[in-house]
Amino acid sequence: MSMALNQTSRRAQLSLRLGVFPAMAAGLALAMLYAISAGRFDVPWIRVVEILWTRAWDLSGSPETMDERIVELVRLPRVLLAAVSGAALAVGGAALQGVFRNPLVSPQILGISQGGAFGGALAILLGYHGVVLLGMSFVFGMFALVLVGFLSRINGRTEMLTVILAGMIVGAFFAALVSVLQFIADPNTSLPAIVYWLMGSFSTATWARLGLAVPGMAFGLAIVWLLRYRLNLLALDEAEARSLGVNPDRERWFIFVAATLMTGTSVAVAGVIGWIGLVVPHAARLIVGEDHRRLIPASALLGATYLVLIDTFARNLTAAEIPLGVLTALIGAPVFAVLLRQHFKRTGAA
Amino acid sequence: MIGITDASLSFGTLQMFAGLSVDVPQGRTTAILGPNGRGKTTLLRSILGFQSLDRGRRHTPHIVGYVPQHSASQAKLAGLEVVTMGRAARLGLFGQPGPDDTEAARAALVQVGACHLADLRYDRMSGGQRQMILIARALATGSDALVLDEPTSALDLGNQARTLSLIAGLGRARERAILFTTHDPNHALAVADDVVLMMPGGAVVHGPVAQMVTPDLMAELYGVPMRWVRPDGPNGRIAMLPEFTGKDALCA
Amino acid sequence: MRLPLLVSAVLVATPLAADPIRFTDHEGREVTLPAPAQRIASIPIPMASTLIAIDGATDRLVGMNPTAKSAIVEGILGRIFPEARDIPSDITAPNFIPNVEELARVNPDLVIQWAGRGPDYIDPITNAGLNLMTIMYGTEDRTREYMTMAATAMGRPERIEALIDWRAEVQTDMEARTADLADEDRPSVLYLLRAMDNLRASGTENNYNAWYHILAGGRNAAEDMVGGWADINVEQIATWNPDVIFLNSFEADLTLDRIMDDPILSLTSAAQSGRVYKMPLGGYRWDPPNQESPLTWMWTANLLHPDLFDYDLRAEMRSAYQVLYNYDLTDADIDEILWMGMQGGQANYAQFAAP
Repeated sequence: MSMALNQTSRRAQLSLRLGVFPAMAAGLALAMLYAISAGRFDVPWIRVVEILWTRAWDLSGSPETMDERIVELVRLPRVLLAAVSGAALAVGGAALQGVFRNPLVSPQILGISQGGAFGGALAILLGYHGVVLLGMSFVFGMFALVLVGFLSRINGRTEMLTVILAGMIVGAFFAALVSVLQFIADPNTSLPAIVYWLMGSFSTATWARLGLAVPGMAFGLAIVWLLRYRLNLLALDEAEARSLGVNPDRERWFIFVAATLMTGTSVAVAGVIGWIGLVVPHAARLIVGEDHRRLIPASALLGATYLVLIDTFARNLTAAEIPLGVLTALIGAPVFAVLLRQHFKRTGAA
Repeated sequence: MIGITDASLSFGTLQMFAGLSVDVPQGRTTAILGPNGRGKTTLLRSILGFQSLDRGRRHTPHIVGYVPQHSASQAKLAGLEVVTMGRAARLGLFGQPGPDDTEAARAALVQVGACHLADLRYDRMSGGQRQMILIARALATGSDALVLDEPTSALDLGNQARTLSLIAGLGRARERAILFTTHDPNHALAVADDVVLMMPGGAVVHGPVAQMVTPDLMAELYGVPMRWVRPDGPNGRIAMLPEFTGKDALCA
Repeated sequence: MRLPLLVSAVLVATPLAADPIRFTDHEGREVTLPAPAQRIASIPIPMASTLIAIDGATDRLVGMNPTAKSAIVEGILGRIFPEARDIPSDITAPNFIPNVEELARVNPDLVIQWAGRGPDYIDPITNAGLNLMTIMYGTEDRTREYMTMAATAMGRPERIEALIDWRAEVQTDMEARTADLADEDRPSVLYLLRAMDNLRASGTENNYNAWYHILAGGRNAAEDMVGGWADINVEQIATWNPDVIFLNSFEADLTLDRIMDDPILSLTSAAQSGRVYKMPLGGYRWDPPNQESPLTWMWTANLLHPDLFDYDLRAEMRSAYQVLYNYDLTDADIDEILWMGMQGGQANYAQFAAP
């Protein structure tokens, strides 16, 4: 009796899990279609489909009318950029949480976001935009990571705790540098630009910007995807992992570099968008469990869907753009608080 | 074969061992005995290469079946998934376990007699069940070296017996070099061919279990008088018990 | 409409030493000065050039915001008053938090600060025992009030009267001409305070730019937007489809290309009809309220309604600069202020060309 019950419930679970990825992919596709059809400029959805259909058969032409240009040059790159950024931020968070064996870790903890924020703010202060901003943001995110690596390597070994401490130190240092830039920035010109950029937005998305962002993010996503089984092993303790042929010291850095690539690039193209890397992997864990072979693709799909929807609200709720960082924090913080309480109630630890 | 040759290790002024050579040949089982805090686990880690030596050489294969005292894994993974991790060293950096690896993991579960744990989530298992899973994971590596860190210390009497029977069975197959630490000389008597005694004061001696596990040496090792207990009847096993004098507890 | 020459007033520069000066500032503070202020430190940015204009000289300005200084030094005021280069600018950070030590060092008898920003901006000044006058920004009424306050503090009431009269006269004239304008005859106007990276538009509520666009016979394209300023996207601009776009003069690198090269913005009615203009940069930036505002209004009116307005802007500028700064504008100066090189070819812009 109980055995039969067990088997049926297991079968139900199995079918649920088999269906979960197609469902997530379909959800993402629907979210993207909705996002492309929605906007302040009125384009009927049937016309959107027509425009996309026409373009799909004729990639050589260029959009002429306003609605064609809105759909093809404004919304499409923006939605794609939001999707790939959402996937990158969520996967970066999930990977770092796996490596640190701590579900509360995010790219902020390694100082990557702060380093990237400083690079970007410096670029704005110096009057640079576009490629230079992107480059500086990534370079300083990477620089922060290298600093963390250097500081945390003591006697040829890197302990987890020293990595977190070094990350906090480096993060605080770059956060202070960002404040310095804001202090010396011209309140008429660069200061509002820095503040706006730090709050995060995809409003400046173009195909060119998408082209700049995709290689870094795709490379980072690919590294984490390839290492997805390795992440299960890195979640073990040092000796245990080593005995299984893992070199935790070295392989952790693959993950760190991948997370930096993804975070630094997303900071560069859209400013600091917090909370995605914290909330989305949590939700993904509830649905597919902790095996990174499922968690990583689930985080990517959910992260992309989440950010596409958030960005659609950000650009459509009012005539004014609502900063993304504000929305993700407003939604993310309460959701995360609930998740956190449930987590501690279950484990009984505090 | 696993072991170290002419190895020394100290932490500051505290000498763990000096000029020590330990060899666990293929087909034999060795136990490391010593009082708490003497450094059994450190010696084990030195042999495995997790602890760097001040001096000496290590001859340990790249892949070793290792059973940690406690696994840090709180993973909500099925038992079979945890056992499959033993295949990791064969997969390479970007590899994923395939059907062959699952097959090897299942075989390892059969070997430890824990097939019923395949679908149970690891984080919901009892201590004894987890021990079986971790031993199966060590076997799944396919290594001919098996190293267990205090395999019995966290278990109740029944699970201790089951674990020791399993180690003894693996030892009888004479296929592997087996090394484990324990604080109970009776466990060494039950399953080991050789013992390494980590004496108080820094000396480390080793030899066949029959010569080394004697009341005199054990008394020296643990600092209390020891005596044999010889039960009556057939199949009775020799065991060793400390004398309960009670004197140590008195203040002068 | 021309600002009349104030020859007599300029000569009667020394006021009669008499009663102490008393007035109320924008935070309701009673300001009392024993005598006209001779050493004034100005923390808000546009105020520095306003003080120069009220006095027709830089002598009494002893400290200003670093951002105000760079604007003066880089603009035409820097050529008119080269000595402005030496006025200290470390009395405040660009964010308006005063540096008391530096303030005390330049020893001003009046410090001007923003009103309504809280004690952090005010207390350091009053605690140092310095005379404080606070000003509020935004509307034409407030602009006239704080200009009058500053003139009162400097003992130049006769000069401010002419400057205020000029503002009132131009305003009345424009209101009269646009009074009967039907809504559909008012072109929709989009002013972009930021355009380089993000796009920031002006709402209508308490927004000075929207106010003078309406005064000049336009209507705010972003009138349904809540608040004074907000960041928007190109799609929103496409929806508004403004008839005229004004680009700010704050962003130095901003040119008409920003609009004309953008795939969406270049399709707007404004871009299609050549009615995209960058705001002139004179003694101060023409976008926000300042001593030259009537010139801004006339420039705007001539562009929005060439049928209704035909101010001789070049002549107006010459006489205004003569009075404000005692300076004779050359044709080259005017071309530079109006960006003739960049936008001389835009619709209706030929009217501003040198004869």
